[in-house]
Amino acid sequence: MESNWVLTSCGMCYVGCGIRVRVDDGVVTGIEGDPNHPQNRGNMCAKGKAGLMNLYNPHRLKTPLKRTNPKKGLHEDPKWQEISWEEALSTITERLGAIREDPKKLYVQAWEVIGDNFYWLLALGSAFGTPHLMGNASATCGKVIHPVEFFSGGGFHQQPDLHYCKYLVLVGTQFAIAARGAFNHILRDMAEARARGMKLVVVDPVGGFAASKADEWVPIRPGTDSAFALGMLHVLLNEAGIYDEKFLQHRTNAAYLVGPHGRYLRDPVSGKPLIYDAADRSAKIFDDPAVKEPAIAGSYDFEGLKARPSFELLREHVRQYPPEKVEEITSVPAKTIRRIAREFGEAVSIGATMMLDGVELPSRPACVDWAKGPQGHKHGFHQSWALKLINIVTGAVNVPGGILSTAAAGKRPFLWWPDGGTDGLLEDGGHILPLPHPKAFPGRTPTRPIRMDLAELFPLAPHFHTLLPITSEDPARWGLDYRIEVMLHAPTNSLLGSFGDIKMVERFYQTIPFIFGFGIEINETNLFDDIVLPFPTYLERYDFVAGTGLLIPHCGKDDWFWQVRQPAVKPPEGIRYPQEVIMEIAARLGILDDFYRLLNHAFRMKEPYTLEAGKRYSVTEVIDRMARCWFGEERGLEWFQENGLVRIPRDVEEAYIGPFIHARLPVYLEHFLQRGEELKEVTDGMGLKWDFSDYVPLPEWLPCPAYDAVKRDGFDLIAVHFKFPYVYGSYGNDNPWIDELCEKTGAYGVLIHSDVAKAKGIADGDEVWLESPVEKVRAKAKVTQCIHPQVVGIGGHFGHWAPGMPIAQGKGVNFNALLPTEMERIDKISTALDHCVEVRVYK
Amino acid sequence: MMTEETSTVAVRVRFMGDLRAVIGKRDQTMTLPQGSTVGDLFASLCRSYGEPFVSRVFSKAGALQHYVVVFVNGKNIKEAGGLGTRLEESEIEIVMLPMFEGG
Repeated sequence: MESNWVLTSCGMCYVGCGIRVRVDDGVVTGIEGDPNHPQNRGNMCAKGKAGLMNLYNPHRLKTPLKRTNPKKGLHEDPKWQEISWEEALSTITERLGAIREDPKKLYVQAWEVIGDNFYWLLALGSAFGTPHLMGNASATCGKVIHPVEFFSGGGFHQQPDLHYCKYLVLVGTQFAIAARGAFNHILRDMAEARARGMKLVVVDPVGGFAASKADEWVPIRPGTDSAFALGMLHVLLNEAGIYDEKFLQHRTNAAYLVGPHGRYLRDPVSGKPLIYDAADRSAKIFDDPAVKEPAIAGSYDFEGLKARPSFELLREHVRQYPPEKVEEITSVPAKTIRRIAREFGEAVSIGATMMLDGVELPSRPACVDWAKGPQGHKHGFHQSWALKLINIVTGAVNVPGGILSTAAAGKRPFLWWPDGGTDGLLEDGGHILPLPHPKAFPGRTPTRPIRMDLAELFPLAPHFHTLLPITSEDPARWGLDYRIEVMLHAPTNSLLGSFGDIKMVERFYQTIPFIFGFGIEINETNLFDDIVLPFPTYLERYDFVAGTGLLIPHCGKDDWFWQVRQPAVKPPEGIRYPQEVIMEIAARLGILDDFYRLLNHAFRMKEPYTLEAGKRYSVTEVIDRMARCWFGEERGLEWFQENGLVRIPRDVEEAYIGPFIHARLPVYLEHFLQRGEELKEVTDGMGLKWDFSDYVPLPEWLPCPAYDAVKRDGFDLIAVHFKFPYVYGSYGNDNPWIDELCEKTGAYGVLIHSDVAKAKGIADGDEVWLESPVEKVRAKAKVTQCIHPQVVGIGGHFGHWAPGMPIAQGKGVNFNALLPTEMERIDKISTALDHCVEVRVYK
Repeated sequence: MMTEETSTVAVRVRFMGDLRAVIGKRDQTMTLPQGSTVGDLFASLCRSYGEPFVSRVFSKAGALQHYVVVFVNGKNIKEAGGLGTRLEESEIEIVMLPMFEGG
């Protein structure tokens, strides 16, 4: 028997852990974590171990299919017919060719960040000319964290510095316990931090995995995170007087003077914001080198205008949120809020410094972390932004022990670094690829929409796809005179995971005359396809980008890395490498050279490695060129196949960029006022009613529709979603090992508080009805004390019905299907769809 | 003395992303005075296509939005002088890239 081990990258979620795959006589028989890989340091999760069951899934798609049943619907049998690649590609080219003169009619769902196809599908869509390119999966996750992070940290995501943190508050996230990028690396950091004595406070409606490991679980009403944060800020700023004055003075816009109507006072010549220098009692331009003591408190007169530093306004603003009032909103006792804020304020150790590799750095060993939970609300941006402000006012950003920005800066294999821009604020975030990062500052000028996702009406958002089911109901209402006519999708399951109200999503998909995409198995999205192309699993693929280590690696001083994914085994006959399929489609459409240009741009390709116009390449030739371009002539694909990865050490400046970036962070979002005013002109001109309550420079708590709805209409509970560490997304679930885990842990049930269950006569394991305003499903009750008594908890991405997923079929609940999808439930800043929904539960 | 033939440059501009829909066509040939720059080309396009073009392309006067990428004869203008890049007989692509997403 011939046995060998192949070094490659896991693809069972977006993280991209390093793995060693055992292959016996061409058959994968085992998967282990690669101990040399910084992303996971040899650790593996249950999903990763279960990957070989996806590889040998007997229901895998291995040949192109076309539907013969023209009728489409959630439960409509497509009546598949196997076809040749030639017929599939000819049909696809013909349908795309028909909209070539009006390319905006193409919609590309590119989310497949396990490998290259995410970037390649976006490049194909851009070369084709459409603006409708969707690069994310969730209707909520990522909508706020990335734009906030780029203007307040400089990188793609945030991560508490577990190496030095002593007090960590997690709000609506199970960071380093059940979720997040670099998961298998940071979970060990979390264990070590807890063993070292770091206090962990988890604020969450669900007492899940993170709460079970925490020192303290604080149940909170859904959609009230900003009130909790504003209450903490009030205690810190007004009761305890704890804030990092030096940091605020010199590294933020806290000293910028705000005049009437909420706008900065500006120098009439340069247009730059003014500050008041207490040292000589004069107004100066914020970046005047002569500034000594910028005032962050007080009130000043300038030629008859009253002005106050923006921090003073923040401090006054948060007085509206004393803990007693916050208790009424959040249900968190006032004394708990006050205690946590004071413990946090003490732990953050303002003024402390530490030496690291001979460099003196501020030390701020406390921070607040948040992720998916706070983002997924009607007012999701401000729910989250208020939490970030706690870190900013205490100076706990990008320094040891505080909140760190992932992949914000690097020196190898080339330099990338965040930088300041408009008004001296952080504007150009750090990104290893020269692709436009998702920005909320300074935003864009709103205008009448031509895009079906109404991007023009969301000038501070980077994501827009949640609008598509809404606009497709009546495009003319939004001034749109066309429809999406062709959809191309990655092998993910957007129908189930990317939108809300499933009946509305069904209608949206039914409006699209031609849908084609990739599939590993026939999932619910594929049921709407006109043509499906078979897709290799991650164990059969090459990828230059293997997972999200380039965007969300572990933070701190530990080595960074680059790995190229290689196949452990060949894909079954009939399956082609997706990159080669994409190049073939581009060639047939006559846009291959444009596609190369965009790929060369995206991957910083330089001569002599650039993809040349007029030439054709195999996937291995492209990846070999990329690898040699980035890491030197001797480190091509073959080198990576033999060695697995390059380890890249990080300097102190790269690990803790706070003191080393030339940009200020915001505590006051002045530009929200301007964008709101501009948008009002547009929406008034279109005759649209619009909610501008979020276009304010300081965060407010505003209730979600569900918050009030539970008081009427017979709805008495709010349903929220949570994650399991052994389930990822809504594809790949047709896996017997993962299914067994879910069965044994009761993951398919919905969490109901024991007091509520008792009052309703519901016992553990009972079948119940779960009814939202738009969907009614059967569910199994899991009665527990580990849930807020006003909340129903629904985990994972379940509720499959596709015949191609027989193991997952009929198990659990598809949470997204319960979510009403209407403009009133969309965050007007970020486009996040509200992910808490009023429900009634009964037997 | 410069002749009519040599006093101008002809450029073909192609549009991708949102701009394709704003302009209403895939490409357009433009004639500009000799010595014109990419900035002059944009000024001309702004005059022709007005607010819908300006609002999508510029973050403020003289500053392209971070998602607008311009190639002149295949070369990114960021590496060739930005809006000051001189135009000759050129093939120009103006691309509005999608903002990077996640989640």
